[in-house]
Amino acid sequence: MSVPGITEPKDLIVRARAGDTQAWGDLYREYAPAIFRFCRRAMPTREDAEDATMEIFMKLRDKLSQYDPSRSFTAWLYKVAANHCWDLLRRRRARHDKDMEDVEELPLETPEPNQLEKLIEERSSDEVRKALSTLGARARMALVMRYYSDMSYDEIADALGVRRPFVGVVLLRARHELRQALEGRGVLVAGGTQ
Amino acid sequence: MSEQDTTRHCDELTLMMYVERQLDREAAQEVSLHTQTCTRCLTLLRALDRESRLLTRSMLEQDEPLPARLAEFHEQAKRSMRWIWGIFFGLAALGVYAFYTEYIAGFQSQLEQAGFGSSNLLSLMVFQGAFYKGWLSMFTLVEFVALASVAALGVFAIRKYLRRGTALAVMFASLGLFAAFVTPAPASAAEFRKNDTVTVGKEETVKGDLYAMGDHVRIEGTVDGDLFGFGEQVEISGHVTGDLICFCQSLRISGQIDGNLRSMANNITLTGTIDRSATTFTELLTIEPNGKIGRNLTSFTKSLTLDGNLGRDLLTMIGKGTINGTIGGSLNAKGENLTINSSASIGGPAKFEGDNPANVSSEAKLASPLAYTKMEHKSHQRGPSFSVWTIIWAAAYVLFGLVLLSLLPSFSREASSNVENVGASFGLGVLVLFAVPIAAVIACVTVVGLFVGLATLFLWYGALYFAQIIVGATVGQWILGRVSDTWALIGRMVVGIILLRVAMAVPFLGIWIKFAVIVWGMGALSLAVYRRMQPTIAPNIPPVPLPGPTSPLPSNTTVGS
Repeated sequence: MSVPGITEPKDLIVRARAGDTQAWGDLYREYAPAIFRFCRRAMPTREDAEDATMEIFMKLRDKLSQYDPSRSFTAWLYKVAANHCWDLLRRRRARHDKDMEDVEELPLETPEPNQLEKLIEERSSDEVRKALSTLGARARMALVMRYYSDMSYDEIADALGVRRPFVGVVLLRARHELRQALEGRGVLVAGGTQ
Repeated sequence: MSEQDTTRHCDELTLMMYVERQLDREAAQEVSLHTQTCTRCLTLLRALDRESRLLTRSMLEQDEPLPARLAEFHEQAKRSMRWIWGIFFGLAALGVYAFYTEYIAGFQSQLEQAGFGSSNLLSLMVFQGAFYKGWLSMFTLVEFVALASVAALGVFAIRKYLRRGTALAVMFASLGLFAAFVTPAPASAAEFRKNDTVTVGKEETVKGDLYAMGDHVRIEGTVDGDLFGFGEQVEISGHVTGDLICFCQSLRISGQIDGNLRSMANNITLTGTIDRSATTFTELLTIEPNGKIGRNLTSFTKSLTLDGNLGRDLLTMIGKGTINGTIGGSLNAKGENLTINSSASIGGPAKFEGDNPANVSSEAKLASPLAYTKMEHKSHQRGPSFSVWTIIWAAAYVLFGLVLLSLLPSFSREASSNVENVGASFGLGVLVLFAVPIAAVIACVTVVGLFVGLATLFLWYGALYFAQIIVGATVGQWILGRVSDTWALIGRMVVGIILLRVAMAVPFLGIWIKFAVIVWGMGALSLAVYRRMQPTIAPNIPPVPLPGPTSPLPSNTTVGS
């Protein structure tokens, strides 16, 4: 796992861990855009994403001593970010998004392949991002963890607090939610019924 | 092989996991073989793969730059704010000083003068006198649980801000506090009596403290200890060797109290003797000609008639006061009307601050002429010092808000957004503003819940100020726009607080504005607390979408090729 265009700056990380403020500042500038984009995809509003980015880096500063240098810094960073965002979303979800539970209980039906192909061909990246922002917290978070940060199923299971075998189900359900959002109406099912 | 040749299609989950390389070798080979012959599944597989790539591409695209406030390392911003903290703390110190000199110092000296003899307001309220003694004798497991619950609630509320060292410090401080409460506890027995009518007969002697609860409480005999009376009518014609603490509608004392009287009652009539001091909150207080208080009387009453004898000082806030008897010490009264008749005698200095001059008989025996001061209502104070103190108070509020918003940013934001829910906030605000203190006082009266009651009162009092901060933050956001960043919210809170303080300084109208703001903010806070106390929903596991032979796969499986 890595941030596109960034080679992990090992020396910078070591100096930041040792308390070098300058190194920490450089590290922040290196990773802040990627983490902000992660938060922007995961959180419902831009303000939330800004707050979350700030909080993640504040948390990171306290936790940097716990980082194991033998592992990928980027992977660790995304894990911290995912846990923080999901923690925020879950707390809100408990209070505000109870209606989303109903959506999660709906049975899924296999889409009609040609129709799915057509839908994907017709939709732009911008439309996907807009649709993503309308999804429920868990669906959005799962997709972001998988397709933005390239987190493994184990890591996603750990962050979302679900058993590993169900990660696929969570992701598939999220895709279905996304398709509905892209269509702006019913589920794509076999036979072309929507 | 055509689609018609296939007996069964792959389900979408299996195909997606194939694309994601999450199937084991055997399952992956099955899918691979099947899709070579099944056009439908192959088309779906390709569509899912394209969907994955579309998702990745959409998410990785750099569609918006890093916001300006995130562009620089946050630590720099924090450093630049340090001087503001210095100013705020300086102003806060002034605010605290203002509060102390304006309210506490004067009140404290008056109470000390009235015989409480305490140098500390907290110890005065909680640990002095018969309340403390009575409470200590009642210190049971229930109270310990109540105390522990309050402490646990406090720790829970600030758990996010506790580091290991801080937690240890808090724990040791709590233990110290607990030890301070428990160690001086005297071992004295207490007796409870509860009935419609509770009577201690003429020949009867109750050894130790007595807690008497009933419609009618009659003490004709002796209570060798403190007496705690709760009832509609309480009559003491016997002898109480300790203090009398009484909450009732009507209290009549014709007997002998060796200790102090602390009472909240509708009317109190004294024809007997209280050897030490009396503190009363009552509508009507009458000390008959043969009534006697050995030391001081502190009274908050609508109508006070003193025909009897008071050994030392009288400190009172009255609607109407009439003095016919003797005051051995000083008189310090504040209220509407005061009459000192010809039979009255006052041994020390006499002061009256009121709306009307006191009516003093020329035949009354006064050690010095009565000093009268016209009562100045604060709303009429509009001098330069008033403006200075208004600014200092506003600054103190700002500091208080700064601390609260920094410590509880998300709670404050929630409460601030609740302010806009006007109906619910006002309704709940009225309820909480009046019901909570009543409930807390009732909890205090039951003794068992004394600490819970005091803690609730303390929180309620703090919430009166927090409410204004919250409304200020919302007003600031109305003017400068909504924000979610804590520092930006603090900035708006400062603007809002300043505007509110200015509005509250308007004569006559200001007090109503303040009341409305408190009710409103109190409701918003209560709503936020209520919503926080809703149970958290555990993440539920979604059902498997399709029935069939596909079962959840083992972890760390990949497709072999």
